[in-house]
Amino acid sequence: MYLYLPVALTSINIIIPIGLGLVVGLLSGLFGVGGGFLMTPLLIMLGIPATVAAATDSNQIVAASTSGTYAHWKVGNVDFKMGFHLLIGGFVGGLFGVQAIKILRAMGNADFVIKMTYVLMLGIVGAYMFIESIQSMRKKKFEDSKPEKESGFSKVLKSLPLQTHYEKSGVTHSALVPVIFGGFVGVLAAVMGVGGGFLMVPVMVYILRMPMHVVVGTSLFQILFNCIEVTFLQAYTNHNVDFILAVLLLLGSTIGAQVGAVFGRKLKGEQLKIILAVIVLVVTVKIVFDLTTTPSLLLGQAGGH
Amino acid sequence: MKISNLIAAVITALAVIYSGTASADLTINANRDHISIGFFYHGSTVSVSGLSDTGTDMIVKITAPDGHETLKQKGKAAGFLWMNIGTLKFEHAPSLYFIHATKKPDEILNAEEMNKHIIGYPALSKHMEIMPVSGDEERTKWFDEFISYKEASKLYAASSGLIKITNENGRQKYYMQTDWPYQAPPGEYLVTVYAVKDKKVMEKAEAKVTVEQAGIVKALSGMAKNNGALYGIISILIALGAGFGVGMIFRKGGGAH
Repeated sequence: MYLYLPVALTSINIIIPIGLGLVVGLLSGLFGVGGGFLMTPLLIMLGIPATVAAATDSNQIVAASTSGTYAHWKVGNVDFKMGFHLLIGGFVGGLFGVQAIKILRAMGNADFVIKMTYVLMLGIVGAYMFIESIQSMRKKKFEDSKPEKESGFSKVLKSLPLQTHYEKSGVTHSALVPVIFGGFVGVLAAVMGVGGGFLMVPVMVYILRMPMHVVVGTSLFQILFNCIEVTFLQAYTNHNVDFILAVLLLLGSTIGAQVGAVFGRKLKGEQLKIILAVIVLVVTVKIVFDLTTTPSLLLGQAGGH
Repeated sequence: MKISNLIAAVITALAVIYSGTASADLTINANRDHISIGFFYHGSTVSVSGLSDTGTDMIVKITAPDGHETLKQKGKAAGFLWMNIGTLKFEHAPSLYFIHATKKPDEILNAEEMNKHIIGYPALSKHMEIMPVSGDEERTKWFDEFISYKEASKLYAASSGLIKITNENGRQKYYMQTDWPYQAPPGEYLVTVYAVKDKKVMEKAEAKVTVEQAGIVKALSGMAKNNGALYGIISILIALGAGFGVGMIFRKGGGAH
C-alpha cells in the first residue's frame, strides 16, 4: 500500500519505512544510538528530499528513544544525573557548532571539512571500539578482573573541581567532565549534521567509564531531549518535518527499540561494543566507497551532505 | 479570362488565409483537467487525444511554468573524492517537461520552429539560463546533467512513437497516454499539442491540468507551512505518546523478562 507524504511531496510503499524503522529502532534499543547515520541516507535513497529526511528522522527518534529510554529505565539502566550534565554540554556545544558551520561556509570549503570530519570520526571511533573490545574480551579469558592502571588523563580528570558521584553508573567525576565532553560531541554533531550518538556512546564508555548497559539507557535519554529540540526547530523554522513519514517510521522504531532493549540485556557489554563498532566501520567503508566512486548523477538537491 | 483568373486568385488567397487561421481544426482533450493528491496518491495517468488534419505529424508537450532551481554540483575534491563542490542555478527551467512526438522532433521541425515553441531538449537548453558556467562546453555538460537528474526523478521525458494516429471519416485522430509521476508537485500544468507539416507548426491547441492536494494531505501540508510551531509540538507529542504507549504494551506483555 502506498501513502503520499505531504511535506516530502512523494509517495512511498508503507512497508519500507515501517521495516526501516524496525531495524534502526532495534539498533537504538541495543546500542543507544539514534541511528541517523543509517536512516537519513537511506531515506534520501528512497527519494525523500535531504532536508526533510534529516528533520523527519529526528521526529522519529523522539518516539524510538522514548520507547528505548522507558525500556532501559524499567531495569534501572538510565543515569538521569549524568544525562542532564551531558545535555547541558551538548546544548552549549550545539550552539558553538552552528557558529562553526557558518564560519566554514564563509571560508568556502564547508562540505569538504564536514565530510572529512564525519569519515574520520566514524573511522576512528569504529576502529578504536573494535580493537579495544577484542582486547578486553581476550584479557577476560585469562584473568577475571584486574584493576586497570590509572592513566595520566584520568588523574587530570580527578583533579578537577565539583567532584560528584553518579550513583546509577557507579562512577565519580567532576560535573565538568560530562559537560565538557557533552559539549565536544555537541559541536561535532552540529557540524556533521547528525545526532552524535555514535560519538556519545564511546565518550561514556571510555572517558566516563560507565558500564555499557547504563551507557545505552543514558544515551537514549539525552538523545530524546536533543531530538525534541531539533524536531521543534525544524518544524518551526524550516517546515521540513513530514508527519506521515514520521508516523510510519515510528510504528517500526518504537517496537524495534523495545526488542533491542530486551535483546541487549542478553548480550555482554563487550559484545554490544563489538557489534556497534562493526556497524560504524561498515558505514565508514560505505561512505568512503561513495566518495571515491563516480556518482551516476552529478547534480543533487541542495541541503544534503 | 481575366475574370476567371481573378476568381482563381481570390480562391487561392482565401485558402491560404484559411489554412493559417485554422485553429478550430485541431482539437485537444486531456482525460483529466484536475488531479487530486489524496492520502493514497501514487501518481496517475494522463491521456491526450483529439482530431487534426490528415498527414500532419503530432507533438504533445506537457510543461510546468518556468521556474528556477538551485542544485548542488558534485565534483572531485582533492583530486579523487566526489563531493559537493558548489551550487548551480537553473533559470527559466520548468519543474516538469514532457515532449512526445510521432517522430523525432528534429526530423519533422526546423530549428527555428523548435526554438520558437521550445520543443525538444536543445530548444529548452537555449531557453534556460545556467549560472555560473565558464563557457559553452561546460554549459552543455551541466545542461545534460540537469536532464539526467530530472529524468531520474521522472519529471522530464522525451519520446517519439508514443502517439498513436488513426484515420476516421477523413480526419486524423491522435491519442497518447503517459504516466503522471507522483513526484510532480502541486501546480498548474499546460498541455500543448502541435500539428506539424513541412517542418513547420501548422496549428496548436492547449489544455490545462491542475494538480492539487486534497483532504488530509492538504491539511497537513498547510499546517506544516503556516503553523510550524503547533505542527512541531503535535509531531513531538505524538512521538512521545507512541514511545510511551509501545513501552507500556511491552511492559505488560514482557513481564517475564
